[in-house]
Amino acid sequence: MAKLTLPPVELVRSGHSACPGCGPALAMRYLLKGTGERTVVSVPASCWTIIATGYPTTALRIPMIDTPIEATGASISGLRAALDALHMSDVQVVGFAGDGGTVDIGLQSLSGMLERRTDALYVMYDNEAYMNTGIQRSGSTPLGAWTTTTPVEGMARGKGEPKKDIMGIVLAHHPVYAATLNVAYPEDFLRKAQKAASLKGPRFFHVLAPCPPGWKFASDQTVQIGRLATDTGIFPLYEVENGKLRVTRKLGQLKPVRDYIKVQGRFGHLTDAEIDTVEHEVQASWAALLQREAHP
Amino acid sequence: MTRLVLSGNYAQSYAARLARVQVISAYPITPQTTIVEQLAKFVSSGELPAQFIKVESEHSALQVCVSAAALGARTYTATSSQGLLLMHELLHWASGMRTPIVMGVVSRSVGPPWSLDADHTDTMSQRDTGWVQIYPESNQEVLDSVLESFRLAEDLAIRLPVMVAEDAFYLSHTVEPVEVPSQAQVDAFLPPRVPKGTLVPGKATRLGSYVGPADYVRFRREQARAMERVPETLAAIEEDYGRRMGRTYGGLLQEYRTEGADAVLLTMGTASTTARAVVDELRAEGKRVGLARIRVFRPFPAKEVRALASRVDRLGVMDRSWTFGQMGSAATEVAAAIQSSPRQPRLSSFLAGVGGRDVGTALLREMFRDLLSKEPSGLRWMDMEPLKEAPLHG
Amino acid sequence: MIEIRFHGRGGQGAVIAAELLAQAANLDGKTPQSFAFYGAERRGAPVVSYARIDDRPILLRTAITAPDIVVVLDPGLVEVAPVMDGLKPGGTLLVNSPLPPERFPTPKPAFVATLDATQIALSHGIGSRTMPIVNTTMLGALSRVSSVVSLSAVQHAIDEHVPARPAENGLAAIEGFHTVRVAELPGLPGGKAPAGPVAPALSSEVPEAPIASMASDVLHTSSWRTLQPVITREKCTRCNFCWKFCPDNAIDLDAEGFPVVRNEHCKGCGLCAVECPPVAIEMVVEGGA
Ligand SMILES: Cc1ncc(C[n+]2csc(CCOP(=O)(O)OP(=O)(O)O)c2C)c(N)n1
Ligand code: SF4
Ligand code: SF4
Ligand code: SF4
Ligand SMILES: [Mg+2]
Repeated sequence: MAKLTLPPVELVRSGHSACPGCGPALAMRYLLKGTGERTVVSVPASCWTIIATGYPTTALRIPMIDTPIEATGASISGLRAALDALHMSDVQVVGFAGDGGTVDIGLQSLSGMLERRTDALYVMYDNEAYMNTGIQRSGSTPLGAWTTTTPVEGMARGKGEPKKDIMGIVLAHHPVYAATLNVAYPEDFLRKAQKAASLKGPRFFHVLAPCPPGWKFASDQTVQIGRLATDTGIFPLYEVENGKLRVTRKLGQLKPVRDYIKVQGRFGHLTDAEIDTVEHEVQASWAALLQREAHP
Repeated sequence: MTRLVLSGNYAQSYAARLARVQVISAYPITPQTTIVEQLAKFVSSGELPAQFIKVESEHSALQVCVSAAALGARTYTATSSQGLLLMHELLHWASGMRTPIVMGVVSRSVGPPWSLDADHTDTMSQRDTGWVQIYPESNQEVLDSVLESFRLAEDLAIRLPVMVAEDAFYLSHTVEPVEVPSQAQVDAFLPPRVPKGTLVPGKATRLGSYVGPADYVRFRREQARAMERVPETLAAIEEDYGRRMGRTYGGLLQEYRTEGADAVLLTMGTASTTARAVVDELRAEGKRVGLARIRVFRPFPAKEVRALASRVDRLGVMDRSWTFGQMGSAATEVAAAIQSSPRQPRLSSFLAGVGGRDVGTALLREMFRDLLSKEPSGLRWMDMEPLKEAPLHG
Repeated sequence: MIEIRFHGRGGQGAVIAAELLAQAANLDGKTPQSFAFYGAERRGAPVVSYARIDDRPILLRTAITAPDIVVVLDPGLVEVAPVMDGLKPGGTLLVNSPLPPERFPTPKPAFVATLDATQIALSHGIGSRTMPIVNTTMLGALSRVSSVVSLSAVQHAIDEHVPARPAENGLAAIEGFHTVRVAELPGLPGGKAPAGPVAPALSSEVPEAPIASMASDVLHTSSWRTLQPVITREKCTRCNFCWKFCPDNAIDLDAEGFPVVRNEHCKGCGLCAVECPPVAIEMVVEGGA
């Protein structure tokens, strides 16, 4: 019998309301295995508002406070302030927000929280669109992706702008720890969650969390597609501690981005030439990342 | 008890300090700034061992308070005008989650055009966000109201947020003597918060949640019931406060010389003080007039207004804000309150003091003259004349 | 006026079915109304939508509680959703199922109609095995078993309003029209529907703040699935990958380290089967077959 590579404690209950194969449901599960039972989580309007199930039930075994979509950063500052005032500084404070709630409407609040050095972990689970409202584009939707507000019709070819560089934005605030994570790599996820939980000060996670209905793939492909995101170099896994960057999943040869793009309906319209462009950009940014690791 | 000469804003800060608030969060806006500057001093000097979270917006300020209060902390914030408007969504979060936050508001006009002066448009536009609203008329009352507000907000039968709204400049930047109670007096009156309905680390609870229509309406009904309990609860709190500190303010509607009055003017905030002086003058001249001050606007003192209406033939209401197509904000609510009264007094609505226009004795005398002589005619914009010859600025 | 309720699964097109019916009825010269209340429904979760059709302007803007017609887009829903609720005596129940109508006894006397719409839709390349899109096939069948809409209007509505594969959807509607079987059933003794799933009881006391603390495990999300995992113990190497990747925590490990699917919670996503290195897990159609 193989040893468990994740702690058996389950702080996310069954019966939750995520779609079958939901990446963000896995993200919460892995995260809380790392931060533990003495965690308080703030969840803004997002898919997780629904996943956590309606009154009178809750899908978490820890306290959760609902938060307006734009205020996660402020909310976790408030939770931390109260815990400090009430002499419960040992409790972990986590904000668990979607990409839209982070890179768009919640960016100001996130920046504020980082700048005032709130001792909390802000987790952005990235399903690359506003999913809870029915798949509209967000600042984190990748170039070329179909969404209901970036249709593929007439001259329109999906989203016309590249994804916002949230890690760049966050790192410019010099958090004590920031990392990219992927639900397809739970052991790496867990290690980073445990590491973050051991540190004090503002911390940030960018979690790739594939969404079957939003990305248009079958519900059994969540982990396969998640792996491809990292192994093609599209979503590299790394961490930055006190400004020092380390790639946590080393890759020899990158897999072709085609492997990742071709299996998702949201990219179904992309031509070979368009995919080649993405390929070049991914290779360039992967090389740049290795450079940053080698020469900080 | 020490007698200090304080501004209304400092009265807020002193009260928050005496209440031993644990979490403060605020963003600067004129004329609220000196409240939080003073609190920052108290915190930095160690006089107030609180967490002061400096945020990047009023929106975040109130969110910090909501989340902190959700874990059981005693919280305070302060704002004004545009800042209060930016908080709008959060005002509902605070009341919907039943967090007992106390907020100082310096009531100010709303731009555009920019204006920094006394006006009630900001607070009136938030009157149905589920907050108790108190409108003191003196700096002493500001301090006393903030202390009473914490007791009220945290009362387990209430658990609603409270705003204490003081008129810009007429209170915020006016200094006058204030009796400041000792810490021991305040501690005896206001014990530490007893958390209920809060999050507890280690306990699986979700605050906020997601509900169907049947539960939604049940939670809203509970909130409305809590509001309905405010008059009685506040009366008991005031009585206790009066016993300890020697001051009370007469519940939701404070009447002055209304016995045998032919006409009574209803006011809010600082105009009430001047109006009281005018009532004294007019009474001395043999006119049978009185004053009723709406001290608490939410919940609206409908019962008290009806009782007044059953005794008086003519009611006038002075407002610093209005409802389009209706009358002044308070006048509209007075009209709604008295329509089920057995006797229907004639009702006049006076709009004055808008955007900082001064409400002087002459203007108030004119309102009483109108009340006693003219037929009511909907909303009357007072004091427009000098506008015509007003010099153009810049 | 005829009132219709559609039962489907999130992502299966129940809302579109009701809207398409409204478009078709409009082409027939009738006054239609269709509506749905959006909530927390996720993919696979049971959802409902509604339609009213009349010859005159419709003066109601309220929920439908006693439908004349109930259309069930997914056979599994008869077991897990209250599909018979309020169906009028003499009304019509139309179910997507390969089984004969007699297998769906109604509480009160009613016409019951069935057709294998899943098979029809798939044969025309509409939808997938886990999520067949049967709404157009079902509308074709509806036009046969009731006078509420004509087949030609359904076809026109499909042409105008179905963006993907309108031709195939039109053919599926025609096939639905021709294959549906109807039986007039007498109703059950006592006039009671078989007991459906029980929703968690609401406490009569409302806490003042909206605080939820009941464990979500009481919610049996297996009602969402159309496929279920079956583990072949002999092939299992006890690597626990399936446990690790289940987004619903629906797999427990027994004392020997073998995975056990908690059936009431598994949503049938199929992730465990794809991630199982020795392919010890197979996804089979819910309820056997
Ligand atoms: C102020 C405000 N605007 C809009 C909404 C509607 N809204 C609810 S969830 C959501 C989508 C959030 O997207 P994201 O943060 O990416 O999370 P996801 O739904 O993808 O999990 C939106 C726009 C809201 N709740 N509040
Ligand atoms: S839409 Fe996507 S993110 Fe939202 S619950 Fe469904 S799978 Fe999860
Ligand atoms: S199919 Fe497998 S992975 Fe999916 S919910 Fe069921 S047990 Fe979990
Ligand atoms: S993944 Fe397959 S082999 Fe591994 S424990 Fe599960 S069933 Fe057994
Ligand atoms: Mg998203």
